[in-house]
Amino acid sequence: MSAEKPTMSKTPELSHHPLELTDDFAAGEANFIQVRDFKFFYGEKEALHGINLTIPSRKVTAFIGPSGCGKSTLLRNFNRMNELIPGVRHEGDISIHGTSIYDPSVEIIALRRRIGMVFQKSNPFPMSIYENIVYPLRITGEKNRSVLDVTVERSLRSAALWDEVKDRLHESALGLSGGQMQRLCIARAVANSPEILLMDEPCSALDPIATAKVEELITELKRDFTIVIVTHNMQQASRVSELTAFFYLGNLIEFDDTQKIFTNPANKQTEEYITGRFG
Amino acid sequence: MHTEPSRPHTLSNFTTALDHLRGCVLMMSSLAQLNLQNAVKGLMERDDDWCNNSIADDEEIDILEMQVDREGIEVMSRYQPVATDLRDVISSIKIGANIERVADQAVNIARRARKINEHPEVPELHLLDPLVKLAFSMFNDAVRAFAERNAVLAVELKSRDKELDRLNKELTDRLVNRMQDDSANLPTYLNLIFISRCLERVGDHSANIAEDIVFAVRAEDIRHLAK
Repeated sequence: MSAEKPTMSKTPELSHHPLELTDDFAAGEANFIQVRDFKFFYGEKEALHGINLTIPSRKVTAFIGPSGCGKSTLLRNFNRMNELIPGVRHEGDISIHGTSIYDPSVEIIALRRRIGMVFQKSNPFPMSIYENIVYPLRITGEKNRSVLDVTVERSLRSAALWDEVKDRLHESALGLSGGQMQRLCIARAVANSPEILLMDEPCSALDPIATAKVEELITELKRDFTIVIVTHNMQQASRVSELTAFFYLGNLIEFDDTQKIFTNPANKQTEEYITGRFG
Repeated sequence: MHTEPSRPHTLSNFTTALDHLRGCVLMMSSLAQLNLQNAVKGLMERDDDWCNNSIADDEEIDILEMQVDREGIEVMSRYQPVATDLRDVISSIKIGANIERVADQAVNIARRARKINEHPEVPELHLLDPLVKLAFSMFNDAVRAFAERNAVLAVELKSRDKELDRLNKELTDRLVNRMQDDSANLPTYLNLIFISRCLERVGDHSANIAEDIVFAVRAEDIRHLAK
């Protein structure tokens, strides 16, 4: 019980969080997210064919692969977002910290509070910067102004956006640049102190400077969060992640240290994909 | 485990750039082989013209070495190669540097040969024959291993380098003894020792090239392994 808890996202003021972090998470857990024989179907179409994968905590894991390979589908299963699509079903299991996300006792809202998500296109709400950040807290009933203020500053600082927007917190978020909007969305995703941050091509609409800022941010955030990022940018995967999973046609082809994947992949299909020999 | 990709790059310019880089290294190696042959021919046939050719042609190899470096950097900056492609680029640059040093040894041999040619021939000149044969075959096989991506041949070169080291040491000892017995030809014996050393260095560079080929093909670093 002596392991120090993450400091940035777990301030005592945020007692509204329904799930306390474990010491295992603070220390780093090898089997944090476990995917077992996981199949996923859109109607009759089987999009994922029995995936087995173990993702450690507090590391960046990149999912790569050509369009339609199933990487985003798997990512969106981690917070059960795919269930919003009619006609979907799954087989197998995904567990987070030893508990199945499909366990009947798991509330989807509580699950999604543990898992922040950032999308390809930034999607700030049409409200002020401040209100964007505190929105996830407000819907859980948090009204304490000082808690909200602390959260806004902490989240914006963790998203490396505080210095740029601290003087205009009550202006519309829609007035920010594309890169700032995406970092605002990251700030909003971490405001609720999730354990996991899912990123679905978070830089694909950003210029190189904004991309570098988000990548720098990812490196900072992994101290406190388990990050899974889907990217089509090979260089981005090699720059920011410690582990890389290559998917193809709904199968996990190879999962290994990023360094290994990008210097000496074991699988020929991985080699051909990362060296640009597909198609 | 490593598997070679069998398909071409989707981006044909990438393939073209890698092929061109490889072509430059092969061009360098052909010129270095020729320079080495010319230098030894000038020594064995006591003909300074061959020596002069070898020395003059070294400049072309120096220029090609810089071209290999430039093209390697350009491929890395333009296409950000990974895996096999990255190893190919890195090893091409390193192999280019080793070929340039082989060509420098050819120049050293040619310069020593011109000095030897100023003096009467000594029968010990032909004691160099086994070293010449082994050094040439090592360098030729290193080039062949590069051209064919033949890691098996490359690995074998490492053991042949030890044999060349042994031959060099034996010949040096023998020539040192001859220097004591035949002091009139001391400068020639001394130059033969230097040439023997140059041939031994050709073997070292060939072994270095072999290590880079094994890295490129198998992603294994076989340098500095326990003897």
